[in-house]
Amino acid sequence: MEFLAAGQEMSVMEKLGILTDAAKYDVACTSSGVDRKGNGRSMGNCAASGICHSFSSDGRCISLLKILLTNECIYDCKYCINRCSNDVPRATFTPEEVCTLTMEFYKRNYIEGLFLSSGILGNPTYTMELIFRTLWLLRRKYGFNGYIHVKAIPGADGEIIRRTGYLADRMSVNLELPTAEGLKNLAPNKHRKNILTPMRQIQNHIHESRYDLAVYRNAPKFVAGGQSTQMIIGATGESDYQIMGVAESLYRKFELKRVFYSAFVRVNEDKSLPALPGGPPLLREHRLYQADWLLRFYGFSAEELLSEDRPFFNVMLDPKEDWAVRHLEQFPVEINRAPYERLLRVPGIGVNSARRIVAARRSGNLRFGDMKKMGVVMKRAVYFVTCNGKMMYPTKLDEDYIVRGLTSEKDRIRFGSDGMTYRQMSLFDDAGFQRQIQPEEALGAAVGQL
Amino acid sequence: MFVYQCEDSLEGIFTAIYNVYEDRHTPEETRLSLGDELLLFAEYVPVTPDLEKAEKVIRTLKRQFGEEDYYRICLALAAPDAEKAQAVYQTIAAGLAGKCRPEHMLDNLADQYVHHTFSLWRGARREYDHLRGFLRFEELGEGILYARISPKNHLLTFLMSHFADRFPAENFVIQDVGRKLWGIHPAVSAENRENGWYVAQLGEDSEAFYAMERLSNMERSEKERACQQLFGYFCQKIAIRERRNLELQRNMLPLRFREYMTEFQKNLSGMDGKPASDI
Repeated sequence: MEFLAAGQEMSVMEKLGILTDAAKYDVACTSSGVDRKGNGRSMGNCAASGICHSFSSDGRCISLLKILLTNECIYDCKYCINRCSNDVPRATFTPEEVCTLTMEFYKRNYIEGLFLSSGILGNPTYTMELIFRTLWLLRRKYGFNGYIHVKAIPGADGEIIRRTGYLADRMSVNLELPTAEGLKNLAPNKHRKNILTPMRQIQNHIHESRYDLAVYRNAPKFVAGGQSTQMIIGATGESDYQIMGVAESLYRKFELKRVFYSAFVRVNEDKSLPALPGGPPLLREHRLYQADWLLRFYGFSAEELLSEDRPFFNVMLDPKEDWAVRHLEQFPVEINRAPYERLLRVPGIGVNSARRIVAARRSGNLRFGDMKKMGVVMKRAVYFVTCNGKMMYPTKLDEDYIVRGLTSEKDRIRFGSDGMTYRQMSLFDDAGFQRQIQPEEALGAAVGQL
Repeated sequence: MFVYQCEDSLEGIFTAIYNVYEDRHTPEETRLSLGDELLLFAEYVPVTPDLEKAEKVIRTLKRQFGEEDYYRICLALAAPDAEKAQAVYQTIAAGLAGKCRPEHMLDNLADQYVHHTFSLWRGARREYDHLRGFLRFEELGEGILYARISPKNHLLTFLMSHFADRFPAENFVIQDVGRKLWGIHPAVSAENRENGWYVAQLGEDSEAFYAMERLSNMERSEKERACQQLFGYFCQKIAIRERRNLELQRNMLPLRFREYMTEFQKNLSGMDGKPASDI
């Protein structure tokens, strides 16, 4: 069986262009989760925190060489640029080419490792074999010891997925769309069951591998960095509540390390795709990531943040502020006494600052001045905390009052306006949104048309 | 008041700390100073760096505070700050007096010295994290990788040990342009089994300095230029036009790092004179 025919004469440069272009809508580019020292002979090590090597002009991090092995595909998913009915240039890397590129880039410290995905060439098992062959070459022949993130292709044979997993640091299966119904509409060749099967399989292998490691110290590790998935937001009509529910059950039942959300970018003209006059739903994506962090690190559950009656996130307030103003009976929180879990729920206090507060108050009473040193964002926390029984300013514990305070600052976003800026979520601080005044608005104000 | 005047190096500062304890002065009446500031009614004690004393202090620090906190102190002392010696000394003294548990040295952030040490550590740590990713090697002839950095903090030694672990089988040189330091790592091979590295400070008129300059100005090979182009092209292609956001890019990757980064070089051929960041 040989599906590699056309496109062999292309230069590596052209192929890289085509296959990067085709891979860029994949979200995950993290290199975290694995701490591996160099082996003293061959190239590569891994840092648990992950390392960002560059940032592209959309502000996303470039950590891995993110490419497709091929953008040939037998499927016809309506949202995907590589759908078989699209007339786009097609290319296929040979495993050697991928290895050389990875090694040369890695040596110059351009990248942290390889992110290899692929369209379906021939059939899923054949494609997975190609991916396996590439990884095997890279690990065994080239002795690459850096980070590898690889996609498991739904529908591929279980054995080949298992073997690939022993060579990779992270594996992911794309969930594509949050619900089975959406999948049926937009990806007629894909089925929910086929996607969840490899996910479960990877989870089981990770468990087995952990058991093996407990018995034999040098047993090979299966997908040491855990598995992740991603779904497209805004292509189908799901509510945020449904999406968070799906994410939560993925974290609980499939023990995923990460769920990535990808704001839908309309790359194809298709009547079943929504028109997006305002561009991709970036604010919605941002809110989902914020909520995702709340699920994973702050001990929140999806039910607390949203409900059937309120299925969408507040556009003005971030999910934690939103939760806090609706649960004022739990505030104010006393900084010097409250348990860690309570501190985490205060807007303006993150995982790091909560830890620092708990550590520092062992040595003495904290004052408001010390809060700032710990990294607490006071302009948000000020409504919700007391220090030694006193609030910082005389504020009311009143929903309207607090909402006005939280949203009136000039650096708050206004929904639907242009010029909003977004940044990658981080654990440490707030997003610092800014909105610049548009020339038309300045003109309007000058001639009294406000 | 006793003012210990020490050299701006780990060895110098640790020796000063040893001498303070040897002279049995309390932290309240002691000050560690890197400069020549003058205080009224103070007694000045010059400190000569002594490797043996410094090692004793290092041993104590590791035992009392653990490897992790020792590493943090080293990073804090890499910061360009006139008060760092005083802050670190007071932090250590408070930790030793309070019998703090290992890895809890920087807990008491309400204390001004601890907070100062903490923010120095955090700043240096952030820059180190950035540079681990943003540093770029170029391949010179004969398989030598060469990189230039000019960080605010003195991070060369930290970066050398990171890259020595990552590239044991490569010859590489990292030049700290501002401090005129070169970190040199010879490749591990059959003759050279030890994965070691060293740092050289070269005067501007020494022969070695010119040799280094010649090396770094060497014409880049065809393969090297092809690689740079490929990566520049990759950085262009990976960006999603609909999400373009240069402000975000600038937040994540400050301009000061871009001077030495391959993908931001204007003359990267095949890019129409535009840096790869900009499509």
